[in-house]
Amino acid sequence: MPGVISGGGQWAYVAAAYALTALLTGAVLWHSWQAMRKAEKRSDALRRDRK
Amino acid sequence: MHAYANPTRFLAIARPLTPWLLGLGLALVLAGAWAGLALVPGDYKQGDTARILYVHVPSAWLGMGGWSALAITGLVQLVWRHPLAGIAARAIAVPGMVFTALCLATGSIWGKPTWGTWWEWDGRMTSMLVLLFLYAGFLALTTGDEGQGRGGSLSRGAAIYALVGAINIPIINRSVVWWNSLHQGPSITLRGSSIDGSLLWPLALTVLGFSLLFGAIVLMRMRRIIADNRVAARLRRLADDEGS
Repeated sequence: MPGVISGGGQWAYVAAAYALTALLTGAVLWHSWQAMRKAEKRSDALRRDRK
Repeated sequence: MHAYANPTRFLAIARPLTPWLLGLGLALVLAGAWAGLALVPGDYKQGDTARILYVHVPSAWLGMGGWSALAITGLVQLVWRHPLAGIAARAIAVPGMVFTALCLATGSIWGKPTWGTWWEWDGRMTSMLVLLFLYAGFLALTTGDEGQGRGGSLSRGAAIYALVGAINIPIINRSVVWWNSLHQGPSITLRGSSIDGSLLWPLALTVLGFSLLFGAIVLMRMRRIIADNRVAARLRRLADDEGS
């Protein structure tokens, strides 16, 4: 079948799919963690100031 | 359900649950990816490209599952005005969109060596692309309107949009049955799986692992919104105190 890639050439596609998944999942995890920490720190600091 | 409408009660559960979901999710994803790349044999027809299955299927599941959850939270908000429903919907939108984009990208990467093309305007791929646009539309509707004056709840329009968008979920699911497609038919159904057991078990690990990570992301984003709402409420009170 024209265009179909077989043999060792397939691993480049597998690596690209896994790398992209790791990169995007890592990015959304990191961003969510950082944003949560920052927001909770700000909220706790404000509560302490009020006491 | 209404017992957990109180953000304080919700946080008492979410705080200890977040690191557990994160740790267990990461461990399962790493184990499943390692098994998918190193332990299981290549497919007899597709060869090594079939290993993309272990990241592509969880992405598809979470893209579609994310919107289903978004629709449920929209319904809960409209019917019961549950204060956490809108917060959950906002928290689901970004990871849902990311996993939908990952499903499209990994599917495209899988398609090139298998079908000889990156993209085909067929039912499955087009309906999945529509889902990506639906997420983008939801984010456009809710970004800038953080709902801080309403405890993070969604506007009525955004909640209805989430419900109406759910029409696309059964279309994605049935697209390979209704229309001719380059995409294979359903491999895993309630009646069983057409994938051999020797290739299937790492998929269970990655699907469960990515689902737990999705849960952790949603909890972290909900905690961020609740903290931001509390800061906004306190600042409003401070401003009122100074004004009076």
